[in-house]
Amino acid sequence: MNITYILFIPFIPLAVFLLLGIFNQQIKPAVSGYIGVLGLSISAALSYYAAYQYFFVSGKVDGVYQTFVEKTVWMNFTDTLHIDMGILIDPISVMMLIVVTTVSLMVHIYSRGYMKGDDGYTKFFAFLALFSFSMLGLVLATNLFQIYIFWELVGVSSYLLIGYYYTKTSAVAAAKKAFIVTRFADLGFLIGILIVGYYAGTFDFQTLNAVNPEGEGLLLNWGASSFMGLSVITWALLLIFMGGAGKSAMFPLHIWLPDAMEGPTPVSALIHAATMVVAGVYLVARLFPMYYFVEDGFALNIVAYVGAFSSLFAAIIAVTQTDIKRVLAFSTMSQIGYMMLALGVSGYDGHEGVGYMASMFHLFTHAMFKALLFLGAGSVIHAVHSNYLKDMGGLRKYMPITNITFLIAALAIAGVPPFAGFWSKDEILVAAFEKNQLLYFVGLFVALLTAFYMFRLYFGIFWGKETKYEHTPHESPMSMAFPLLFLAFMSVVAGFIPFSEFVTADKVAFEAHLNLPLAAAAVGTGLTGIILAWVFYKKENDLAERFANGFGMFYKWTYHKFYFDEIYMFVTKKIIFDRVSAPIAKFDKKYVDGTMEGIGNKTVIISEKIKGLQSGRLQDYAIFFVSGVVVVALVFIYLWT
Amino acid sequence: MNLNSFIAMRQEIFLLTILLLLIVGEIFIHKDKKGSIIHLALFLFGIHTIIGFFAIEESSLFGGMFRTNTLIHFFKNVLNVGVLIVLLQSADWIQEKMIPLNKGTEFFMLLFSSLLGMYFMISAGDFLMFYIGLELSTLPVAALVAWETSKRISSEAGVKFILSAGLASGVSLFGISLLYAATGSIYFADIIGVLTTTNLTILGFVLFFAGLGFKISLVPFHFWTADVYEGAPIGVASYLSVISKGAAAFILMILLFTVLKPLIHVWENIVYVIALATMFIGNLFALRQQNMKRFLAFSSIAQAGFILLGLITGTQLGTATVVYFIMVYIFTNLAAFGVVQAISSQTGKENRDDYNGLYRTNPNLSLVMMLALFSLAGIPPVAGFFGKFFLFAAAASKGYYLLVFLAVVNVTISLYYYLLVVRAMFIRKSENPIPFFKSKIYMRLGLIITVLGILVLGLYSPLYDYIFELSNVFNK
Amino acid sequence: MDILSLFVIVPVLTLLALVLSKGLKQARIISMIGSFIQLGMAINLLFAYFKERAVNKSIMLFTQDTVWFKNFNVHYAIGVDGISVALLLLTSIVVLAGVFISWKTDDLPKEFFISLLVLATGVYGFFISIDLFTMFVFYEIAVIPMYLLIGIWGSGPKEYSAMKLTLMLMGASAVLLVGVLGIYFNSNADGGALTFNILEIAKVHIPFEAQKLFFPLTFIGFAVLGALFPFHTWSPDGHASAPTAVSMLHAGVLMKLGGYGVFRIAMFLLPLGAIEWSWFFIILSATGVIYGAFGALKQTDLKYINAYSSVSHLGMVLFALLMLNKTAWNGAILQSLSHGFMTALFFALIGMIYGRTHTRDITKLGGLLKVMPFISVIYVIAGLASLGLPGFSGFIAEMNIFVGAFQHEEMFYRVATVISVSAIVVTAVYILRVLGIMLMGEVKNEEFLDLPKVTWFEVTGIMLLLIPMMGMGVAPLWLSDMTMESVQPFIQGVLNHL
Repeated sequence: MNITYILFIPFIPLAVFLLLGIFNQQIKPAVSGYIGVLGLSISAALSYYAAYQYFFVSGKVDGVYQTFVEKTVWMNFTDTLHIDMGILIDPISVMMLIVVTTVSLMVHIYSRGYMKGDDGYTKFFAFLALFSFSMLGLVLATNLFQIYIFWELVGVSSYLLIGYYYTKTSAVAAAKKAFIVTRFADLGFLIGILIVGYYAGTFDFQTLNAVNPEGEGLLLNWGASSFMGLSVITWALLLIFMGGAGKSAMFPLHIWLPDAMEGPTPVSALIHAATMVVAGVYLVARLFPMYYFVEDGFALNIVAYVGAFSSLFAAIIAVTQTDIKRVLAFSTMSQIGYMMLALGVSGYDGHEGVGYMASMFHLFTHAMFKALLFLGAGSVIHAVHSNYLKDMGGLRKYMPITNITFLIAALAIAGVPPFAGFWSKDEILVAAFEKNQLLYFVGLFVALLTAFYMFRLYFGIFWGKETKYEHTPHESPMSMAFPLLFLAFMSVVAGFIPFSEFVTADKVAFEAHLNLPLAAAAVGTGLTGIILAWVFYKKENDLAERFANGFGMFYKWTYHKFYFDEIYMFVTKKIIFDRVSAPIAKFDKKYVDGTMEGIGNKTVIISEKIKGLQSGRLQDYAIFFVSGVVVVALVFIYLWT
Repeated sequence: MNLNSFIAMRQEIFLLTILLLLIVGEIFIHKDKKGSIIHLALFLFGIHTIIGFFAIEESSLFGGMFRTNTLIHFFKNVLNVGVLIVLLQSADWIQEKMIPLNKGTEFFMLLFSSLLGMYFMISAGDFLMFYIGLELSTLPVAALVAWETSKRISSEAGVKFILSAGLASGVSLFGISLLYAATGSIYFADIIGVLTTTNLTILGFVLFFAGLGFKISLVPFHFWTADVYEGAPIGVASYLSVISKGAAAFILMILLFTVLKPLIHVWENIVYVIALATMFIGNLFALRQQNMKRFLAFSSIAQAGFILLGLITGTQLGTATVVYFIMVYIFTNLAAFGVVQAISSQTGKENRDDYNGLYRTNPNLSLVMMLALFSLAGIPPVAGFFGKFFLFAAAASKGYYLLVFLAVVNVTISLYYYLLVVRAMFIRKSENPIPFFKSKIYMRLGLIITVLGILVLGLYSPLYDYIFELSNVFNK
Repeated sequence: MDILSLFVIVPVLTLLALVLSKGLKQARIISMIGSFIQLGMAINLLFAYFKERAVNKSIMLFTQDTVWFKNFNVHYAIGVDGISVALLLLTSIVVLAGVFISWKTDDLPKEFFISLLVLATGVYGFFISIDLFTMFVFYEIAVIPMYLLIGIWGSGPKEYSAMKLTLMLMGASAVLLVGVLGIYFNSNADGGALTFNILEIAKVHIPFEAQKLFFPLTFIGFAVLGALFPFHTWSPDGHASAPTAVSMLHAGVLMKLGGYGVFRIAMFLLPLGAIEWSWFFIILSATGVIYGAFGALKQTDLKYINAYSSVSHLGMVLFALLMLNKTAWNGAILQSLSHGFMTALFFALIGMIYGRTHTRDITKLGGLLKVMPFISVIYVIAGLASLGLPGFSGFIAEMNIFVGAFQHEEMFYRVATVISVSAIVVTAVYILRVLGIMLMGEVKNEEFLDLPKVTWFEVTGIMLLLIPMMGMGVAPLWLSDMTMESVQPFIQGVLNHL
């Protein structure tokens, strides 16, 4: 199938970025908004067309989805190692194209309303376009290095967007934090790439993932050389996963995500809910055959457990947060943990690979309803000019659309049928149940918590006590309402997409059937959570406080996110800066430089010391003269020979 | 031996003639315009210098007492040019200070006779002629040093010089006699054959070496240098620092490479040690000098140390590099002394701090000085760099890498104090800088010649190659 | 006149023209024209090189060879390969940018531009020579003007810094001289004549003992100029005191001589010595990479931050060179180029900021994005480039270095590589720290609210540096292949000796 036109999907946003970036003084804000939206809608249209072409027309050859690649050499390292630039079309990349362009388009539309009157309006759209370009490039990457390159680019666009309100110190700090934490993770990623490059001799995904029974190829001689008991390839995979964990805010590299909420809400919706943060999941999925086959999926198990723990950890924290965006942030982290978990427990062939399918499915649905939640939250914040639950309440009568759409999203994430979340979550739980009971129950518990905190949020915002608003909140303009409605629609229908037909580990469709008991259990827990939330928060009462106090210490810890920020702060400020950097600066001045100076000063001092020789008295000179002669003579007569 | 074989002594005879002519001139020139004696002297010496460049073939006179060859002849020319520059630079000083006292002619006569002494010294074919030359070259200078009788410091310098010189030549003479005792001859030609390493010869050599070491001002025979340079008229100081030092170094080299070759395994060690001592002492003392004359005195001591790096080899390469370096050094050092003299004769200021902000008032002088200092410090593309590089190469060619390393350490130290002067002239500012002045024609001529030398000698390679060709005469 | 010698002749002619010029206006116009011609020549050379390379496979192209000192067998021998061509291009661009940046030099303008061009001449000469002696001559010619440039036109403790810088660099070159002589007198090891010609010497099998002795001398001699830890301390003070254009030329071009010399001479001529000593210098350079980065972390003076980051970035160059493999060496070359543009750009921007706000202390600055948007945006770009963001030159250079270095089998080198790789995080930290404190946040000082706009010559200067930096980063293939191709014979020559 001809895939050249797909190049336009990333390049249009790039063009938009350059246009708005270079002429951002000249172009009028209103215009720039339209340019952005226009650009993205073209990209989106193209992606939908591509998806149609791939899934329904020419992607499948006798039951197997093919991989189409078009690439060119970008830089040569050695005769074998080189960075290629190109596009790789296979089920997950196509699926991601849909997700990215859709959400991005919605966010563009939404931002036209949300950012109105902001003096950096054009800049904002430029950055959005830049991000869209980078993300699409990442999705379409054909090899590890290309994905790393765009990985860095999304990182920097995220930095720019989080720090968008650059006069706000907290925003600047958050942006810095986000970049540095992910950069640290990328260090692992890079080293992983280096290892793969050396031992596998290629960065190319197809070569790396080639599963061929004939017995050549990386996957069968991964054990070639080992380091500290694990094969080097496993090390590489773990390091690469470190990179993924960084971007996807897995524990313990999650600390940047909550702070990232300093950015404008549309940004949070786009980058920190739907697209960039799932890059880690995408990366693991991209290398799934390696993760699965190398050393019997040792690395994959790690992924599963990290995912499970993160999702539990985040869910617990989310229950206690009061800043609605942070609640959503932790919920995102928790849901991504879910996806990782799903990948981790997945098999490869046929129905074995349900976890993989479920993970991608959840990625898709989650993108929709989480973006919706953020945008909804955004329009609420837009209305009440605050992020905090305490300033909200009873908003349902002021902003009906937001109310309904938010409710739909909440139901979706809580896993209530027939909303999207239910289907994907159910598949995940099925996969977990088949592979690992413990992880299954973790998942179930998380489902409960999710439903609880999500409806705590919902009731807290739209029901509960009326706050006195100095000027009455009002529904957002159409530009903001439309995306809400569209995403709400998606959150309802997305669940009915037969994902196992399209996106599977071995690229062969299989029949996914609803496992009723498990589904029932899931729905049950979901509803329980909702009911609990209803009891606590529907009407204002002090149940919640009493309950919280019941937990006492634990509640406090949770509220402070288990003090992780403080720990990191301590390490960076107290250790790195004060214990490493400052001493080095001193050391450099005092000793390194000191030595150099010392040499010079010593010379001068010596010359001071010996100045007595030149006494100016002739007799001394004569003495020196003669004794010089004598000494030399004696030395050479008696000692030397 | 017929008359035309005296052509071998052409230079000496000419110089002698000039001396006599000056006496005649002294008698006949009307005393109201004694100044013209300067022009006369310069004119005559200029002629002499030019004539010198006509080739002369190798030959010897008086049964080998006096000999000459292309290299010696070439070196005499180098000395001539040096002296000419010295005279040009001192002309104004003579005009203002000496003519009124009616002492112009003597100055020239003494200087020329000293030069004559050097001719004989470097042309010597035996120790007797050598010694006569040595004395003749030294004694008149003593008078010159003490020239400014009005100044206490000058007479002190004179005394110091004459006494140390006496000591030195005495020691040297003793050394010569010991060598004679050991070999039974004073003829270089005969000695080469019979000289062997015995305690006697070693002692003799060391004593003899000390004598020349005094003139080259090697450590520990250098102490007189600073005081004398400081006290003496600048012209004389510069003469001492380049001409007599150069000549002495040259003859020392000839003797080491020919007559004393049999003792090489002894003297190479001695030279090694002395070279280190000289470089370090010279540099460490120069580091702290405020007075430009003392400063240049110690710097010239350090430079003498570098010369020894070429002497240590005993090869044709060594000869060539040493001669080349001396030549470069003459131009370089005379440029530095010239600037000091110009400023001192205009303003009487001789300290480094007086030079603060010099560039902004007298850019040309400062540039000359900077060139000279860079050349002394051995920074390309000026001649000094090539001189040093080749000397080091010579030492390295014999595997003295450690010596070369210590030498480059010294180069770095010296760079420091040379830059101090550059700093004073270019970077420092001053409330009362030396005002702008135009130096007299002779001085400017002298400086221009030196600058040309500094710029051309290095980049124009055939010169070095020519010297190298000449240098094989002693390594046959 | 041959195409290469022009690189020496044109600057010299410019110098002569300057000597005759009067006042700032003439001086800067003349130097601008001169540097423009040089840039033109460099670009022309680039294309000429491609044309020639297609047909001519010898290591060096456009070679000229004139005997200079016959019996030392010193030649004025010149020739270029892809590496020198690239570096010549870098030089000409930075020089031109430097002239633009110092458009308003009021104190002794003539002398300033003269010294600047002397420096340039030395650098050009160094890059085109293939004769050790000639190379050495040009090397010192390039270094010495720094003394006057910093001393006269500098700021702060300029006398001290200038003296320190000059002494350390000249001291290093003195050490280098011993190494050069050592190489020269061993160049007849195979019975040939003594020679200074690099390509000749490369064929000779210099005895192992000699290599062991002279490699450290040669390496250190050059590496000091490449800010090798612990000999880097001249650089922070030097940069801090130097005027803008001088910092640009010095960090952008002059410091490259170090890496280039190590590559062309220390590594190429003394490979056995290199292998013998690599472990030791690997430790030093890797330390430098990390140390420089951490050193920059706590500084508050922009120039100090940049100086330390230069220590880190150039430590990378030496590190890569010591790895003795093609990719790493190519990385080293690219890093030299990229750092050249990047750091020159940084210093130019710092100069502009300082010229307007009269402080380089980031704690006194703040919110500059509001008051001087253009400069700030460029600063952000430069910062991102310097932390190795893809799309900029730094990234491709570093990736070459890392991939190359990782090809080394021995564990020790792997570990060293991983350590140096981790510098990218620290780099990010100190860069973002500066951006955060200086450009973002509230405007700290009302006086900053009305600062002069950027002038046309400033913008030109910036663009001259920014465009190649991004060009390298976006489309590296042509450049990296050109250099890679030229690295090949060198690595081959080295391997032949093992």
